[in-house]
Amino acid sequence: MSGDEASVRAIDSLSAIVPSLARTTPSTLLTNPEIYSQISTLLRNPNSGAGDNNLCRWLYDTFQSGVADLQLLVLRFLPVIGGVYLSRVADRKPQAGFEAVLLALYAHETTSRGGQPLSVTIPDLTSPSIYHDAKGAPNKSGTPEVAVVSPALEPHGTVRSTRRARIVGVALELFYAKIWQMPVASKIEFCKFCRTWAGQDGEMYRKTEGGEKEVEGRVPLPWELLQPVIRILGHCLLGPNNRDVELFDAASEACRCLFARTMHDVNPKAILPIRSLMTLSNNLMDKTQLDPTELPFTDVISL
Amino acid sequence: MESSEQENVSLREFHANGTRISASEVEAKLDQGNIQEAEDALREGLSLNFEEARALLGKLEYQRGNVEGALRVFDGIDLQAAIQRLQPAFSEKQPAKKGRTRIESPSISQHAASLVLEAIYLKAKSLQKLRKFTEAASECKRILDAVEKIFYLGIPDIQVDNKLQEIVSHAVELLPELWKQAGCYDEAISAYRRALLSQWNLDTDCCARIQKSFVVFLLYSGVEASPPSLAVQIDGSYVPKNNLEEAILLLMILLKKFCLGKIKWDPSVMEHLTFALSICNQTSALAKQFEELMPGVYHRIDCWNSLALCLSGAGKNDNALNLLRKSLHKHEQPNDLTSLLLAAKICSEDPQLANEGVNYAQRAISNAHGPKEHLKGVALRMLGLCLGKQAKVASSDYERSHLQSKALESLEEAIRLEPNNSDLIFELAVQYAEHRNLRAALRSARHFFNETGGSVLKAWILLVLILSAQQRFSEAEVVTDAALDQTARWEQGPLLRLKAKLKISQSRPMDAIETYRYLLALVQAQKKSFGSLQISSKVEDYKVNEFDIWHGLANLYASLSRWKDAEICLQKARELKKYSAALVHTEGVLFEGRGQNREALCATINAVLLEPNHVPCKILMGALIQKMGLDSEYLTVARSSLSDALRIEHTNRKAWYCLGLLHKLDGRINDAADCFQAASMLEESDPIESFSSIS
Repeated sequence: MSGDEASVRAIDSLSAIVPSLARTTPSTLLTNPEIYSQISTLLRNPNSGAGDNNLCRWLYDTFQSGVADLQLLVLRFLPVIGGVYLSRVADRKPQAGFEAVLLALYAHETTSRGGQPLSVTIPDLTSPSIYHDAKGAPNKSGTPEVAVVSPALEPHGTVRSTRRARIVGVALELFYAKIWQMPVASKIEFCKFCRTWAGQDGEMYRKTEGGEKEVEGRVPLPWELLQPVIRILGHCLLGPNNRDVELFDAASEACRCLFARTMHDVNPKAILPIRSLMTLSNNLMDKTQLDPTELPFTDVISL
Repeated sequence: MESSEQENVSLREFHANGTRISASEVEAKLDQGNIQEAEDALREGLSLNFEEARALLGKLEYQRGNVEGALRVFDGIDLQAAIQRLQPAFSEKQPAKKGRTRIESPSISQHAASLVLEAIYLKAKSLQKLRKFTEAASECKRILDAVEKIFYLGIPDIQVDNKLQEIVSHAVELLPELWKQAGCYDEAISAYRRALLSQWNLDTDCCARIQKSFVVFLLYSGVEASPPSLAVQIDGSYVPKNNLEEAILLLMILLKKFCLGKIKWDPSVMEHLTFALSICNQTSALAKQFEELMPGVYHRIDCWNSLALCLSGAGKNDNALNLLRKSLHKHEQPNDLTSLLLAAKICSEDPQLANEGVNYAQRAISNAHGPKEHLKGVALRMLGLCLGKQAKVASSDYERSHLQSKALESLEEAIRLEPNNSDLIFELAVQYAEHRNLRAALRSARHFFNETGGSVLKAWILLVLILSAQQRFSEAEVVTDAALDQTARWEQGPLLRLKAKLKISQSRPMDAIETYRYLLALVQAQKKSFGSLQISSKVEDYKVNEFDIWHGLANLYASLSRWKDAEICLQKARELKKYSAALVHTEGVLFEGRGQNREALCATINAVLLEPNHVPCKILMGALIQKMGLDSEYLTVARSSLSDALRIEHTNRKAWYCLGLLHKLDGRINDAADCFQAASMLEESDPIESFSSIS
């Protein structure tokens, strides 16, 4: 099935679920903000994650179509899906619909990574690189240090409780991989859910004083969930879209809340990067940027 | 940007060819929209040619902030043709690196070049200010393409004049920014690489700025850069394969430049590196970077505290604690709340350090006020944990129970401040359980389970242990089976071990053997498929030792009087660990079972020599001495052995029972009754595995 046919199919089935979106065309599928807000609202309904939910079925089918644009469309809703899903775990509601979508995303990543972990080799400055020459004898002691950023994935057919965090985390890693193609609304949604997941009010880390309020919806935050969350927040705060004031504010608040949470957990592994993000984003707010590419302004104009 | 202007008098002046004229007349003409007249005026006044006049005019407009006007002026110049004309002047030139020949002609041509290139540069800046980023980027790119063609062997050091170099450096720095602003991220990456990998003769500050800007892009843009082209790769040099590697490399280079005194200190470099290395689970590499920084960059206390965080994050708690001890010294910064909490947390994991931890936790509590008050609950939690651990090595009964109740008090106060902290709920449950307040323990354990949605393995295990302590074995088994359903294969080890023990408690030894067999198969499969590379560090936490399984089986067979099978299992276990007090203890049990009490006693003595604090051996020793009907001096040994065992494990019912028997033998009926009562009470609330296995 070609991309266009798949899009038309997707629109047809979507309009059966959300009649107001019937007038969408394949070309506007990705750009129409109505789609995002309507589906997002529907996903927050009380029983939205159930196994027989039509919208979840549509999201699952659309992602499985294999068409890149359609997959991006589904990926946009990951913050809402993940957020609502994790918040409702404590209520013991059956959420087979959400789980199906999450597993589809997880399976996609499992296939594309081919059983390999995502790893990074830590450079050693004593050996030369493309950006620098190393003077003196290189430190040829042993093998280079390989750091595993994301361990190899095992396939999962169902969401087992102890694997839940990893599955959602991997879905978030996929979200991060495509994040520059995600709309701002999706990112803002993500930041808001971070605040909920932290379950901690971050007001005390604002520059101005504030009171402490209890925030509902705290979820366990193991590293496999925190790591992609921190990367996505880094993008929201310091990436090329940080001129969007609403996103920046939402991300700053999420950062503060997560920092408060990591302090309460006394989790040094997470305190370090989140603290750095807070410092860097505060600097952004303070500094009046000097443009080094601006030519000096003088009254003397000469050749 | 606009300097104050009176009606017709401008403060600006034109300088060229040795003359200077005021800019007011020209500005007036431009204001009227008369570019041609303005140009003519300039040409006359300063004897300029067409291009030079236009270039100056454009500059003036730009300085005045009339970017659209500037663009109009620049449009009048055929910049493309100008560039073409420049090229032949240089194409025959040999780049003489050492000699100073041909200074004359290059300087004139360079002058013309810098004029044209500056004009294009200002055009690009103007377009940038009008937010026409793609066009601006194209213009900027033309500069670099032109320079590359003109100086095709790279910009030689001596011969380029400052003006030209300045334009080129600015253009090199501007281009990637423009592509970024235009949203063309692939072009931005190429521009960054071009800036850093080609020879532009940039000064160190400019180079550092571009490197840092590239790092920010690599780390946070979310656009994965394809690896650098093969053209720039030299044999043996490190080529980064993805964004993180490239960013970390550049950050390390920037730090190195600072350490060599080439650039000024920029704290954001360290923050970015912290982010990058933390994301890669490499806080130990980060610690190394902190250490390599020169003293004085950070205040030594901040350095120690950051290092402590890095080391603790990498699991090197001992080193972290040493650093924290330094920074929390009374002459340094004894009231830093983060350090106090971290130190307390590290101490809370080791009974030998628990006393020290109590001190840190108490200081943390007294420091948690004002804006930091929200951390008081955390401090109380640490206090509770440390007191609980301290109780384990208490030297007297009184001290132990005192510490335990204080621990419980702290945790209860903590939870009033932090009712949603799931770790705290868990720790409270464990404390209640160790206190044998099983009802409260079960309530908290259920709360923890609900809060975490069953996603944490220890939630399941705790429930099973508490239920088993309440002697509700079949329910415990139900929970175990549910847990097995909800966990991935590699985490099931501890659950299977619990299941086997549950079967034993329910007097179904054959089922227990079956379960052990299954567990053995699992562990052996685990060993085969993982080898050295772990799938996840989480799995490490939940791995069951093959040795433990063989040992457990040996004990099981011994209890069934299947001596041969027990021997086989012992042998297997011995292959894995030769000298183990636990194994020798089982040997002793086997000897006892076969009626060989002397040999059994020898075994227990050997075991205690191996491990002086091995409780089951002490108990067995005491029991054997009493059984063998030896003289009263041996009975003293037995009594001290059992008392010792009770000192280490206060709630060991077997020890109490044996001690009771000893008292009875000696005629101390009251003491015996007390012991038997203790043993009986404990039996009613004994979990199948100690609660400390999950705390």
